[in-house]
This record gives sequence, C-alpha cells and structure tokens, in this order.
Amino acid sequence: MFVPHSELDLKKMFDELKINSLDDLFTHIPDALLLENGLDLPESLSELESIDYFDDIAARNKSDLVCFAGGGHYDVYLPQTVKSLTMRPEFMTSYTPYQAEISQGILQVLFEFQSLVCDLTDMELANASLYDGATSIAEAISVAINKTKRDRVVISSGLNPNSKEVINTLIDRNKFNLDYVELNNFLFPTNFEFDESQAAFVVSYPHYEGSCQDLTSIVERAKEKGLVTICYVDPSMLGVLTTPGQMGFDIIVAEGQSLGTPLSFGGPTVGWFATKKEFARLVPGRLIGESRDKDGNKSYVMTLRAREQDIRREKASSNICTNQTLNAIGSAIHLSWLGPEGIYEMGYHAIQKANYMRKQLIKNGYVIPNDDSSLREFLLEVKSDAAEVIQDMGDKGFLAGILYDEKHILVAVTEKRKKIEIDNYIESLMEVDNG
Amino acid sequence: MVSGGNASSLPLVGGKPEPTIKELSSPGRRASKFPKLDVPEVKINHESLKKEKARLPEVSEHDLVMHYSRLAHRNFAVDLGFYPLGSCTMKYNPRFADSIASDSRFANMHPSMPEEFTQGCLKVYYEIGNYLCEITGMDDASFQPPAGASGELTGLLIIKKYLEVNNMNHKNEIIVPDSAHGTNPASARMAGFTVVEVETDSRGMVDIEKLKEIVNDNTAGLMLTNPNTGGLFEEEILSISQIIHNAGGLLYYDGANLNAIVGASRPGDMGFDIVHSNLHKTFATPHGGGGPGSGPVAVKSFLREYLPGPIAENKDRKYNWYQPENSIGRMHGYHGNFLVTLRALVYMKLLGKEGLDQLGAYAVLNARYLSSKVSQIIPLAYDEPCMHEFVASVKDLKKSHKIKAYDVGKALLDKGFHSPTIYFPLIVEEALMFEPTETQSKETLDDLASNLKLIVDDLQQDDTVLEDYPKNLPVGRPNELIPAKYLTVNWGDFELLEITE
Repeated sequence: MFVPHSELDLKKMFDELKINSLDDLFTHIPDALLLENGLDLPESLSELESIDYFDDIAARNKSDLVCFAGGGHYDVYLPQTVKSLTMRPEFMTSYTPYQAEISQGILQVLFEFQSLVCDLTDMELANASLYDGATSIAEAISVAINKTKRDRVVISSGLNPNSKEVINTLIDRNKFNLDYVELNNFLFPTNFEFDESQAAFVVSYPHYEGSCQDLTSIVERAKEKGLVTICYVDPSMLGVLTTPGQMGFDIIVAEGQSLGTPLSFGGPTVGWFATKKEFARLVPGRLIGESRDKDGNKSYVMTLRAREQDIRREKASSNICTNQTLNAIGSAIHLSWLGPEGIYEMGYHAIQKANYMRKQLIKNGYVIPNDDSSLREFLLEVKSDAAEVIQDMGDKGFLAGILYDEKHILVAVTEKRKKIEIDNYIESLMEVDNG
Repeated sequence: MVSGGNASSLPLVGGKPEPTIKELSSPGRRASKFPKLDVPEVKINHESLKKEKARLPEVSEHDLVMHYSRLAHRNFAVDLGFYPLGSCTMKYNPRFADSIASDSRFANMHPSMPEEFTQGCLKVYYEIGNYLCEITGMDDASFQPPAGASGELTGLLIIKKYLEVNNMNHKNEIIVPDSAHGTNPASARMAGFTVVEVETDSRGMVDIEKLKEIVNDNTAGLMLTNPNTGGLFEEEILSISQIIHNAGGLLYYDGANLNAIVGASRPGDMGFDIVHSNLHKTFATPHGGGGPGSGPVAVKSFLREYLPGPIAENKDRKYNWYQPENSIGRMHGYHGNFLVTLRALVYMKLLGKEGLDQLGAYAVLNARYLSSKVSQIIPLAYDEPCMHEFVASVKDLKKSHKIKAYDVGKALLDKGFHSPTIYFPLIVEEALMFEPTETQSKETLDDLASNLKLIVDDLQQDDTVLEDYPKNLPVGRPNELIPAKYLTVNWGDFELLEITE
C-alpha cells in the first residue's frame, strides 16, 4: 500500500539482485519457518472504508460526557495552537536527535521544555521527559536508591493507586522495602519519624484525594536523615501552588498530560523529571545541553550520554531508550501559550469552581470529607453505591468522577467546567443518588 | 527519474540561531485567554497557595507560532527526506492514522472511566491484539508497555515471575548476544538477572558452540532479535530454541527487527515464548522525535496469566478488562499508549492481509538492493544475504585516510539524507547500518548510493578537513564536551559559564 514499486521497478531491482521473485529473497530461511499461505487476516480497507470502520468503534465510546474525573489526568482546555504546532510533521516524523546538525529544532524545543519545567517547579535540571507520571515516580525512587545505597522507601499512601501498582512492579521488592504511610485526615502526618535506613520519601502534591498541605517541614526532617525527597506534583496547578522547589524537594516528577496533551485514554502522555544538578549523573532518560559549534554558533546537543543504556549496557542505571518527545513539545508550547497569567488563571479558576461546587454539594446535604484541605479535587460521599452512581450519572451526561471506594467518588474540577455544568451535575446527582 | 527522498532542496535556512522563547518574552504579553469566572468569587485561604506568579515566558500568539514553526523548519524528518537509520525503521507514517487518532471520541477519553463507557477503546485493544498475535505467532498480548525498552523489561519480569511461581528461582542468567541492543542487557539487569554474553560467529550469527558452553541449569532465558542486529536471519534459530528450552529457559524475541519478517515468518513458529513489538517501527506510528512509542508484549498461552494487566477481553459481545492471575503488575499508569496503538491498528487495517503478507519481503528487497549498491563503495561487514537492514564498515578508510563512520554520516547530511546508524552493532568496527524500509523508491536508493560515492571520494581528498562536515547546515558539529562538563542544560547556564570562564 505504501510500497512505491511498479512492475518496471521490480524488474530492474530483481535484475540487480539476480532473482526472479520476492520469494527468492528468503531462500536462506529454513522452509519450516516460512509462512506458506501468509497471514490469516482480513483483506485491506481503503481510507474511505476505514473511516466507517473506525467510526463504528468510536461510536461505542461514551465520549460526550462532561468530565469531572481527574486523578492526574485533567480535562483542561488544550488550545488549537498547541495541537497544530505539536502535530507539525517535522516534529512528529523525526527520530531521537542523534544528528544534532539537522535536529536543532527538536533539540531546542526540548531544551526549552527542560528550562520551562525548571522555572515552573523551581529546580535546576530537568530531563527531556519520561513515559508518564507513574513510571517517573519509579525512576525517581531508583535514583534515590542509587544515591543513598539504602533499601527502604517511605511512600505516602495518598498516591494514585495505579501509580502504586507501577512502583510495586518496577521496584524489586525482594531487595527493597516499600513502606506506605497512611494519611491522617487526608494529610501526611507532620510528626512522621524518618530514619537513616530510608532511601527516599515520596509524596503527592496535592495528595491523590485532593487535599494539599505545606510539606516544607516534613521535607526538611526527611533530608536531615539523608533521605532523597521526591514530590509528585500536579503541574497544571503550579500557577497558584507553592512550588516543590520552594518546599525543598530534591526530585520532582509529574504527570504532564494536563500541559499539552489531550486525555488520550491515559496515553501517550508525558512524565516530567526535574532535580538538582548534584543528581545530574543519576538522572534517567535524555538530557539536552546548550553548546557552540566551531564557528561559535549556538547549538544544542544530547549530553551526558555516557549514563545511557546504549553505551553503558548492563551497567546503565535505567533501560530508558526513548522518551515522550512529542508530548514534551506539547508541554513546552502549552506553557509558553499560557504564560504566568494564563497558568495562574487556569489554577485559580479551577479552585474557585471546585470551591463553589463543594459548597453547593454541602448545601444540598452532601458530605465532603476533605472539604477544608482540598483545592480543585475532593472526595464526594454518596448515599448509594458509588459505582452505580457513576453509571447512572453517565446516562445523565456526566463523568461523575473516579470510583474511590463504595461510598466515595473522587471529583475534579478544571478551569474548563462551567457553573451551569456544576449546577446540573448536582441536580442529576440528587436524582440518581437517592440512597 | 528523480529521487523523491533527497532533501537537499530543503530550506533549513539561515546561519543565525533562533532565540529561545524566553528571549522572545516581554512583560505584559500573553497568548492565552480564558472565559470570565462564572461562579461567585470568594476569598480562598489555603496554606499551599503562593502570592507570586509562575516564571513563564510572556509572548504573543503570533510570536509563539513563528518561533515554534521556525524551529520545526530546522529539523529533518521522515516527511522531508530519506532517513536510512538502521534499527529504527523510519518508514512513512500514514497521515490518515493521525486523523483517526485526533478524533475526539478517542483523544478526549478519560482513562479512569468504567469499562461500559469505553467499549470503543477496549475494542481497539482487542482487535489489535488479534492482529499482533497472528503476525507474531503468539496467543495473548498486553499493550501496557509504553515503549520497546519497557516491553523488554516486561518480558523479563514475566520470565522472572514464571520461574518464581514454578520454583526455579535459581535460574538467574539471561543470555544476550554481544551484538544486541543496549536496552537488552540494561533491561535484564533491571529485572534482577545476571547478563551473560554469547559471541557472534564470523558469519555474523549466534555462535552455537559458544552458546552450548554457556547454557546451564541457571539459564533463565535468551534474548534475541531475528533478523539480528547485523541484519542477518539467524538460520539456526530452531537449534538455538531447542538448546534454551532443553535447559528449561525461555526464549525472548526483541521485536526491533520485526519489519523484516512480517508476512514471511513468525517468531512464534521459531520457538519464541515472548515477543515485544515496536508499534512505532513496524506499524508506522510516528516516532515523534524520540517518542511516544508503544511496546506491546505477546506471549504463548502458558504465559498469559503473567502478562501486565489489565488486558482487553471479549465476552458475550461485550468488551471487558481482564486482570491476569499471576500478573507481573502494571507497567504504565493506565492502559499504555492508547493513541499510538490506535494508529497502529489503522495501519494494519489499511494494509490488510495483502499488504502485511508482503511487508517483510518489500523491506528486505529495498535493503538487499541498497546493500548491493553500497557494497560497491564501502565493504559490508558480513558476506551473507541481508534482511531489512545491513551493516557496512569504513575501517579500511579509517586506516588509510582517518575517515570514521561518524564523518561519513556527517557528510551525508549535507547531501540531503539522514545519516545511517553509526557504531552499531558494537562488534563491527566503524559500522554504518542502513535500513531503507519498504516505502522508499528505487530512485531514492540509487540517489543515496551515488551520493555516498561522492562523499567517500570527497573525504579522501588531500585538502579535506573532516571536522568541517557538515558544511551546508545552520550549525556545524556542536562541541559535545561543554554541556557534559559544565551541565549547560537550562537557559542561562551557558551565559553564566561565559561570565565565569
């Protein structure tokens, strides 16, 4: 289908190779391994036929729901400018910028991405991205283990449950202990005692349930015991929240979907990873540096390559080969589009609207267990079975949130939600959730 | 006949550097605009809120668009010219797949929705699972791994879990050919295995005798690409498979080179137990400048219950998520790279049986043809029929004229082509690895070969300064030592360096 060769081309190529058919290309493969009748698959479709085929599949999704789900992935407004620039074919159809002289475009955007992430989080060095938020946490834990040579990790329980599963997969629990610490009234216990056997302290900011706290003193005490402190942050709220850098964290990781990438059913998104320069040689993934060519022209190039798997092989600290460049480009362009005022409004409107929604829910008899500590995301206690409420709210046109437990739904509000949508949500909720 | 893959007409214009978005920033400008707040505004006191604004650039929308468009102009891409980068399968990425993946009914789906709401997404996973299993000769697949390296790690964790469950914990050695991709040993170590290298013989294939010496009761498995990284089909694969299986080990197929055999031969029939595929290579999803990719793992049925879950099932005409019983656990925060998977399914549908049956053959035809042309200019590393890629070596030119593979690659950039992969596989001196893919025309292959001839002649001239290449691009070779030594990885770092040094 995308093969250019005409009969004439084939003849010329066959002549050059002194063969008579495509089959002659495989005479060195044992007969037993050659497929006799090809693959058992349906015939091809034209683009026109494919439109119908995929239209049928797309129609099976309940895709028109007003989204009140978050948990790391947020229905924020993604400007057309960001979408169309990110989808420029020069960005989309290139590979890792190994050849710097013809890849200055990608290299500079990634350099800008790294710098923007540093500015937004108050850190010194960011990599050119990782797979997603969850895998980034696991990579950060590996860095901490390598740095401290200790074998225990303190993890706040207020993390996305899927992220916990990814950590449990990627960190070898035969060698390392993962100690999950329960939150106390939705906040990390300020009196938690760290000790010198622990490699890392991992905490989500805000916590998964939406509550948020100043972590400065906890970070300080963890660092006193030599732990590497790791913050998993919601980056789209950094227009209004105190930055993890200001709170003293050593490593910041993030799920970057809400900056530059559509919800995408969870992937591809982008993991952010930022830290201090003292950790530079432990950082996983690609890193872009600024340099000069021999004429003194500014030029960018991949750097600290000696850490990576293609050079270090089994001695590499991570097997990461690719990153999520295109999504990182999306993040850079979205952040530049937002600017300081835009990212502020994005966060400020979200917390104002979430606050309005909580107060309206409470006014209508609902309990919000973490009303006082939450910002844009919170737990909603329902009277009926929470899974059923989510199902029934779907029929009313709402994605009510994420199932938290039998009685609770995790509700997220972005700057995109309108007052009328919030009001209608509550009205519908009262209809479907009648105990 | 004119070549379509030569990008030497490309306006990679200008000798001046593009400023950074920060340098374009001017206080008070902005591109963003949001609706007015439509809920009653109240004073919110919370200890986590800050007073100051974030440090971000302030630019107008037109400045922003011009800046990122100009940067796009400074980048080579598959859509612009021939990208014969070995081991990366830089084939044409159908535009049509982008349009399906941009459909908001897919792109705007939240990952935490109940399965009743996401029947379309589940069907995508179910359908492509069937395609992938048929193409690779396997039984079940998981699309959790977001990239090839993640797929490798998944495969190794499956081996580990399988050995644990079956009380074979002593098996802790993974055998990897010395020609393997760096991700193989790195992934094996991450999964907690000891890496044992097996040598390549003079023909460029796994040395069977050496393999027999290495294999023992501790052998957990072997990781192999077939064709291997030299572009050669491992003709003794059935014997290799027997040796490993007889020792109680499992056979892992690194799908990096799957493009060579699609429709012709299947890893499952060769004896492989686990296969990862790179959808961004074989199934034409855009590489995105180095990601996102997708590295699904397919297994024989006896390993199904170890797959990372959940995986999509179809029961009573409804799709649902199934969590395998002994699952190694999640490899990704949600369901893997869904939109990449969707693009790959679009590609498979467009090709269908007839396209997929001949996919490998055409990829091999182009490589074999190009290798025939290149071999008249630079000697090939192996005297064997190549599959979808081949390795040439300039070690003689290095001896006679100090010309390195690196220099040939850089000079080729001037001629409108991307460089082939250089210095890989590691076991070939001054290696240049070419992978043309099936989507380039005969004229483009001829054009690359004739330009290669010009370069090799040019570089041998007495007055040649190798470091001058490339000569016709916005920048020359960047000094790689400066950022590595001084960590100039954030804006301002370099300027600071100029002040202090």
